[in-house]
Amino acid sequence: MFEVRFHGRGGQGAVMAAQTLAEAAVIEGRHAHAFPFFGAERRGAPVMAFARIDDEKISIKSQVYEPDLLVVLDESLIDIEPVARGLKKDGKAVVNTRKSPQEIDLGVEVECATVNANAIALEFLKAPIVNTAILGAVARITDLVSIGSMKQAIENRFGEKFGEAAARINIGAAEAAYEQASVGLCQGRRPLVIKREWLPDWRDIPIGNSLSAGIKDGVMVGPGGARQNLTGSWRMQTPHYDQEKCVRCLRCWFTCPEGCIKREDDDHVRWDLNYCKGCGICSQVCPVTAIDMIKGGSR
Amino acid sequence: MSTIKDMPRNDPFTSGHGACAGCGMAVAVKNIMRILGENTTVYVPASCLIVISAMYPTTNFRTPYLYTAFENTGAVITGIRAAQRRRGLSSTVVGLAGDGGTFDIGLQALSGAAERNEDVLYVCLDNEGYMNTGIQRSGATPFGAWTTTSPVGNVVKGKREFKKDLMAIIAAHDPPYAASLSIAHFNDFVKKVEKAKNKKGFRFLHVMTPCVPGWRSDPSMTVEISRLAVETGMWTLFEIEEGSSRTTYRPQTMLPVTDYLKLQGRFRHMENDDIAKLQDWLCRKWYIHYGHEAEQPVCAVFEKRKPMRTPQEEQLHFI
Repeated sequence: MFEVRFHGRGGQGAVMAAQTLAEAAVIEGRHAHAFPFFGAERRGAPVMAFARIDDEKISIKSQVYEPDLLVVLDESLIDIEPVARGLKKDGKAVVNTRKSPQEIDLGVEVECATVNANAIALEFLKAPIVNTAILGAVARITDLVSIGSMKQAIENRFGEKFGEAAARINIGAAEAAYEQASVGLCQGRRPLVIKREWLPDWRDIPIGNSLSAGIKDGVMVGPGGARQNLTGSWRMQTPHYDQEKCVRCLRCWFTCPEGCIKREDDDHVRWDLNYCKGCGICSQVCPVTAIDMIKGGSR
Repeated sequence: MSTIKDMPRNDPFTSGHGACAGCGMAVAVKNIMRILGENTTVYVPASCLIVISAMYPTTNFRTPYLYTAFENTGAVITGIRAAQRRRGLSSTVVGLAGDGGTFDIGLQALSGAAERNEDVLYVCLDNEGYMNTGIQRSGATPFGAWTTTSPVGNVVKGKREFKKDLMAIIAAHDPPYAASLSIAHFNDFVKKVEKAKNKKGFRFLHVMTPCVPGWRSDPSMTVEISRLAVETGMWTLFEIEEGSSRTTYRPQTMLPVTDYLKLQGRFRHMENDDIAKLQDWLCRKWYIHYGHEAEQPVCAVFEKRKPMRTPQEEQLHFI
């Protein structure tokens, strides 16, 4: 059995990628299934999707814990969670990055294909939806499915849902990634530790009491503890503030959904980019165009 | 407190929540909490807000925070207030419910609390659908909108019913204070929340909160959509105080509803006769709200061009 785990962000198409890979295997006459991780997915939040491929009927229905192939759709995920957890020693990995495989530190030293799928997706699809581009690189590194059946699967999936033209564009992206992917050994120095989380049970919070704010096992708990969740890594564009132009109307401060715009004593503002998700509302409401959104995230 | 400059600087609703980029509901909740201050008890029923702000064992609220079931916001905030009276405590008790938990599922508990005139603040964060569970239609979904349970087919395109007039239901309970808010009318927002905070008895606030994935809109346009909703008559800013209704903001001229519709993918399929029907409904609504003080509303003549869509845009839209 060949197991694949996809790590991406909501909106990048990780689920669609898993389904398309499974379909490509089915086209080659094998058994396959694909499904997402069920959680509170929000656009930009880390998500997972899984696929299994076998020559016989697949009876296991669990999540994939020890993948043969790891697909990382967003490079920044490597820093915020142990993506290579459980990856087999003889496994393979595909990473969407502009770096070469030797520069990538996954935590397990495996054969790794890297491809700048963001650039390919922006060129072909005009949007940072990298799923089809990354599938081209998957076809390159494994002999699991051929690029031919991958293209057929993309045509079936995307043609049915979005029309023929969309399918053609996506096939183009997959082909480009197949050509451009570079293969090599990645590094394995990063420790793959799972952050232990303290979850209080009924003994910790007796009936009639509530959990008070504090720190447990180095992790903030209780009221206000969610601010340790640095959502700035979701960002695809970054605000640039021109203090000279600012008229101190505070519209951006009021309308920022994250509360990452801080108000100074003189009513000028400053950004806490640890939390900025790059929605661009501040730039849109600014009456004097003192805020520009610049392409590029937290990396 | 009458302008945004007078608002406190600290945030009882902290950063680090999991809402989508450009979430209108996060804007509304953050500012309501700023104005209400730390001496507040928050109740949230099942909604997006519980998912984004309360990952066990943390919350984004620096205030006491409670969550039970979907349908009982009115009942639970009543209970919290009763317990506070019994213990001799006092804080602003606020229930932050979505439109599903207010218009449909929570209506009986809301009606009960309003009828008993409990000393609580009820906020309806109206994103016009069950967005948390993946965009299903609710009583708040406007005419013609696409949702997964009002799909676009060959014959029936989108929702066929008009939005429920919740404020009329609330007004029928004769509450001490009820108001509708928009996140794009800042000072109006601040004044109304401040007023609601200081009144005694049952207070109701109805906030329009655009939803980026559910409305298929651009994240940066959240506030602009709220503004256009008021300018086109899709949303009206008024308050009901001790039985008398007062419009707090009147647009200069009525913009054609297409200005509002074209920013949102959920209305993309709408054709001329549906738009005409919606515009006609809006003109009647406009008369009801602004009739006495307004001259003839400009129920604009419009022409809808079939939008040209490229496949890339289409894919961007449906993922």
